[in-house]
Amino acid sequence: MGGKPVWFIACGVVFAALSSANVRPALAQTIAEKVEVCAGCHGQGGKPIDPMTPIIWGQQSGYIYIQLRDFKRGDRKNEIMRPIAASFEKEDMLAIAEYFSNKPWPDLGQARSPKDVAERALRAEHSVGCTGCHLDHFQGSGTVPRLAGQSREYLTKTIADFRTRARGNNPGMSDLMLATPTDDLAALEDYLAGL
Amino acid sequence: MNSYSIAYATLLGLGCLLAGPSSAQEVKQDPWSPSREAKISPVTQAQLDSADKNTANFLLTNGNYAQTRFHPARQVNRDTVKNLHVAWIFQTDVKESMETSPIVVDGVMFVTTSFSHVYALDAKTGQQLWHYNHKMAPVTTFCCGPNNRGVQVLGDLVYLATLDAKLVALNAKTGDVVWKTDIADPELGYSETMAPTVVKDKVLIGTNGGEYGIRGFLRAYDAKTGKLVWNFDTVPEKSVGVWATKDATGRDMHRDIAAEKAQLAKSGDPYAKLGGGVWQNPAVDLATNRIYFVVGNPSPDLDGAVRPGDNLYTDSLVALDLDTGKYVCHFQYIAHDVWDLDAVSPAVLVNVRSKDGKSIPGVIHAGKTGHIYVHDRKDCSLIRFSEAMVPQENMWVLPTKEGARMLPGANGGVEWSPIATDPDQGLAYAINLHQPMHYRVENSAYPNGKLWLGGAFTAIADEKQSGNITAVNYDTGKIKWQVKTPEPMIGGILATAGGLVFTGEGNGKFAAYNSSTGKELWSFHAGAGVNAPPSSYMVGGKQYIVVGAGGNTQVNFRRGNNIVAFTLD
Repeated sequence: MGGKPVWFIACGVVFAALSSANVRPALAQTIAEKVEVCAGCHGQGGKPIDPMTPIIWGQQSGYIYIQLRDFKRGDRKNEIMRPIAASFEKEDMLAIAEYFSNKPWPDLGQARSPKDVAERALRAEHSVGCTGCHLDHFQGSGTVPRLAGQSREYLTKTIADFRTRARGNNPGMSDLMLATPTDDLAALEDYLAGL
Repeated sequence: MNSYSIAYATLLGLGCLLAGPSSAQEVKQDPWSPSREAKISPVTQAQLDSADKNTANFLLTNGNYAQTRFHPARQVNRDTVKNLHVAWIFQTDVKESMETSPIVVDGVMFVTTSFSHVYALDAKTGQQLWHYNHKMAPVTTFCCGPNNRGVQVLGDLVYLATLDAKLVALNAKTGDVVWKTDIADPELGYSETMAPTVVKDKVLIGTNGGEYGIRGFLRAYDAKTGKLVWNFDTVPEKSVGVWATKDATGRDMHRDIAAEKAQLAKSGDPYAKLGGGVWQNPAVDLATNRIYFVVGNPSPDLDGAVRPGDNLYTDSLVALDLDTGKYVCHFQYIAHDVWDLDAVSPAVLVNVRSKDGKSIPGVIHAGKTGHIYVHDRKDCSLIRFSEAMVPQENMWVLPTKEGARMLPGANGGVEWSPIATDPDQGLAYAINLHQPMHYRVENSAYPNGKLWLGGAFTAIADEKQSGNITAVNYDTGKIKWQVKTPEPMIGGILATAGGLVFTGEGNGKFAAYNSSTGKELWSFHAGAGVNAPPSSYMVGGKQYIVVGAGGNTQVNFRRGNNIVAFTLD
């Protein structure tokens, strides 16, 4: 639409002005302060310190918001995240989610799965219809997370937790994971990590 | 930089971030393409009322208020269709599932994409006139893809319902927002993918969310202001019904009524989180001022233990008074559905033969069960149901923890895909899926707006899937012809006065068939799944056929971002 040229020019002006004046927006400062603690586990450059910790840089903002909300509510159990999320109001959670979703997704350098594993993974996908929600190339959208390139160890733990319902904030996912053979899930984990 | 400048820059900078690409499925076309004004005259109610006779335009999602998807132009016909060729291809900015029904008004076409984008195009050239890029809220909750099925125009406004559950009116000439209304809370599982139906200054809209424990509705909003006029809850507070043990075709559904009654005594009526989404447009009977639509599945899909009773009005045809939204009649196809074999393909108004052979006003619906159901429009009662269009096996075996095999699979039969009809031939044309599945049940409590399936449907890996195009005589219930397709069919179909039907497949094939015999007369390969309903229109004295080729999320057909228009040499 006709607004596109204006959009690009306006952004250029804003960022040039901010950069030249060496001034950072107040809102960004506030968010930056709020998210300082996150880097301790999720990584300064977006690569988690521990592979059991998920990538949140470049993750879908709606998904990050819902997880923070659920940590606070206690719908998703996590001893580290609950006290952190407890201090946030909805506006904080939305702003933090937006902040991380705008960061670039880090490349963990996980190997692409071999052909036979990929084929098995796609058969499993076809059976339960993962891409119906996670979308083409497993990029996610809104409240549905990106899975492509997520930490292999985190994917394995999450799927296992869905199967035992230890991860209790999405029973629909538990149902789908319980309906999928574990060998197929292992292939899916390899495949997704390598995307 | 003073504080005002900082604040302004902050807001503008934030705006830039928020207005930037919002999804990985966006593919940038020419970011500098100029915006032009769409030169159309306001669409009048009289034009909409007579849309079924209008060869130049395609004014409603399913062609006209009766939703026949029968276009009266006949320039493209059984003799000339062999000369059909591409007139133009327009590439949208979104490469993701495409379910739009192109709307055409005075040579201007309106199409939508996933994530609720709207484009106005020159219908003769495919040139972009304007593009509305909806600023999506962060929380969207949807099953089956971020789809959008189209818009409607009344007066000088274009009406759109969005994935984040908003109703938006756009200036038809410029694409600027005129008003915007929140329909429901996406955090509780509500979303919008259907096209609105606009009639008599009311915008009619349903909701998705049957997989998330919503309470469904159909609503009318004031077309000028966006204010709510009436609301009809698709699940009444007394949802228990008559404890029906047989489906519409008379087959036993193996309900444990005693267990359900015990559950009812314990937990009460489950109406508040019982689902009942409305996926597709209502048909409007202008003579009686009634609307007819179908209601989707109960929540959770597969676990009936937590929702005792018939779960009214899920899996039902429902009629309402257009002015007030008051209940007129209903017919439930499957009481207490635990297979998600619900009612989603839009209802169609045609004259049908009654049981005693008289021609009466009827309403027909193509079910996920694979039957076409024929009703008396007066009281919604069932006159007949067609032969099954797809294999049915092991119906109605109850879902188990290990998985029980039953055909059809949970997508149908006929999914949300609209059917077409040819009233002169008394035929209804439907596209079907054949996907053998296991039905599995699990039990879990209401999850606060999260996915709530109550189990899983899983495609059986070593059983072949396929599809078909079927013509059914709705006065006899007999199948007239059937064309088998290599993959399940989802999208929609169009019939024309040229004696043709047009429909597409997930492998990219888009074809024309003789509407009397099913003989294939012409085809084209679009390179991405053709899983959207076609439209037809005339401009500059030439008839065009247009369809979206963007693939499908639900059945995972190859994605694309094309609107393809065809015309004769």
